[in-house]
Amino acid sequence: MSQIEEVLKRALAREKASRKAAEEILEAKSAELYEVNLKLKAANAELQTSYSKTSSQLQGVFENIVDAYVIMDLWGNILKMNNAAVDLLGFESTKDSSNLMSMVLPKELKKVQKSFKKLLNEGSLTDFKIQILTNKKDIKFVHINASIIYENEQAVGAQGIVRDITLESAYQEVVEAERQKYRNIIANMNLGLVEVNNDDEILMVNQRFVEMSGYSEKELLGSRAAELFEADKEKVIEIENKRRLDGISNSYELKIVNKMKELRYWLISGAPNYNVKGEVIGSIGIHLDITEFKNLELQKEILLKKLEKSNDELQEYAHIVSHDLKSPLRSIDALVTWLREDNKDKFDEVSFHNINLIQITLEKMEQLITDVLIYSSVTEDTDKKADVDLDELVSGLLEILYIPEHVEVSVKVKLPVVKGFKPKLQQLFQNLISNAIKFIDKEEGRVEISMKESAQYYEFSVGDNGIGIEKQFHDKIFKIFHTLNKSKESTGVGLSIVKKIVELHGGEIRLESELGKGTIFYFTLKK
Amino acid sequence: MKTINILLIEDDLIEVMKLKRATGSLNLNHKIIEANNGEKALELLQQKNNLPDIILLDLNMPKINGIEFLRILKADERLSYIPTIILTTSNNQRDLLECFKTGIAGYVLKPLKYEDYVSKIEKLLAYWSINELITT
Repeated sequence: MSQIEEVLKRALAREKASRKAAEEILEAKSAELYEVNLKLKAANAELQTSYSKTSSQLQGVFENIVDAYVIMDLWGNILKMNNAAVDLLGFESTKDSSNLMSMVLPKELKKVQKSFKKLLNEGSLTDFKIQILTNKKDIKFVHINASIIYENEQAVGAQGIVRDITLESAYQEVVEAERQKYRNIIANMNLGLVEVNNDDEILMVNQRFVEMSGYSEKELLGSRAAELFEADKEKVIEIENKRRLDGISNSYELKIVNKMKELRYWLISGAPNYNVKGEVIGSIGIHLDITEFKNLELQKEILLKKLEKSNDELQEYAHIVSHDLKSPLRSIDALVTWLREDNKDKFDEVSFHNINLIQITLEKMEQLITDVLIYSSVTEDTDKKADVDLDELVSGLLEILYIPEHVEVSVKVKLPVVKGFKPKLQQLFQNLISNAIKFIDKEEGRVEISMKESAQYYEFSVGDNGIGIEKQFHDKIFKIFHTLNKSKESTGVGLSIVKKIVELHGGEIRLESELGKGTIFYFTLKK
Repeated sequence: MKTINILLIEDDLIEVMKLKRATGSLNLNHKIIEANNGEKALELLQQKNNLPDIILLDLNMPKINGIEFLRILKADERLSYIPTIILTTSNNQRDLLECFKTGIAGYVLKPLKYEDYVSKIEKLLAYWSINELITT
């Protein structure tokens, strides 16, 4: 018994001990649980504040976002929008409600339907551009990025950011229009346009250049311009391309051979082509076919040479003719002189008088030939115009000219130095002065030379107190072989020579005259 | 005054008469040899022992003209020293320049009036007859 008792006692004791341990564990666990519970409560509270904070933050973002933000249901009814959306869509407040589909312009309807399908199928839509009619009936161009809102994997609505690109689009339209305009100009202009890179490889050509070159666009692109066209091995293109690298623009002429092996002349205006960084990446050249001009120019040069030659020949001819005409006159004079000498005793008074008349006529004839020769010589000299001191020239003239006792020739002002042909200017003054002297009929003759200066001209005057010229003859006297006085000295060429010389120097001549009182010739010479 | 041998190269008959009559009326005993053109003159000049003292040369002549003749003359070593005086109507500056370039001893314009001619010839011949001339 006692043994069983002993066993039972021990078992009881063990049980007691284990229950106690279990109680102790339970107690500890319970305390732990309590603590966790407390912590959980705190965490929950924290979460609550954090959530409400985030939520208000989001609300703030939503309200203050610069772009219009709209949430709609799947039928287009606006559920929510921000202030920017109110402005954009033409509402009064965020509380207004409307259907977005009503803003779609009829012409855009198909486009919208297509995009809406895409949105539903793919869940998002980006870069969608459309014209809308706002609540305030303004037409606006908008850009939309949208995505579907899901709830339990079910599409329930969509949110979108709408941006007003009306201005931007208008601007782009203008830019595009300009682009198109220049593209058209480039394509249709009568000038060949070529863009090359720094290696002279052709990057772009326009239609005209294709025509000019005879090559197709395909053949041209990537080819080196110099290799394709340059007629001479003068490396003009290479030199010019180097200029572009230095940023220099200029124009130059180039002799080229096109695909048809025709020699053409091009006038090229080249300018360097820069990239955004301002580095030279090649050059752009505008090409004008100047072959026709060039040919005309060459033709002109040939013609000028011919003209020069025939002018020379004419001069030569004038000299020869004048010689040939003068020779017989000389002979006649000699023969008539001999006739008189040999018949001193045989001829009567009348015959001697007639012989005299023959000789006077011969002199006049000779003067005429001389004058015509001078007249024909008044042409642009081969030598250049030089400075001519007219003061010196006229005082020199007055020393050699025959001035009768009763005539006084005076120079009123100091005459200037002009650019001109000296022998011709001398002829000019000589003719005018001797002309003035010749027609003086007064007992005291006066010839006055004077000059007035204007901005571009010197106006000279040679005046006399001679017989004067009737108004009706003022123009005629400058015509060749027109003489008003049948006298021994006048051949009718002198004033024609004067006019021709004045005009050769870019001046004009006129006269003022009163019959019986005198004449003043005015003529201008360019400064 | 010493007499000189003159070679007159002139195609105009009356011009020849003029020179002869002028020297005659001036009582000058110069010897005048005529040649109607350049070729004739060159032929005459081939006679070595009878070279003229001076040559009076007209510029406008048929065949070889005066300037061409002058060039031939100046290119000939034997003849190039003979003083040559141009006697012409041409006052063409080009002719004048060309002649002086090629080498002439004078350039006299024939005047219209015979009296003036006589006066010019008198002076010309007076000048050459007081000159020392190379004799062959």
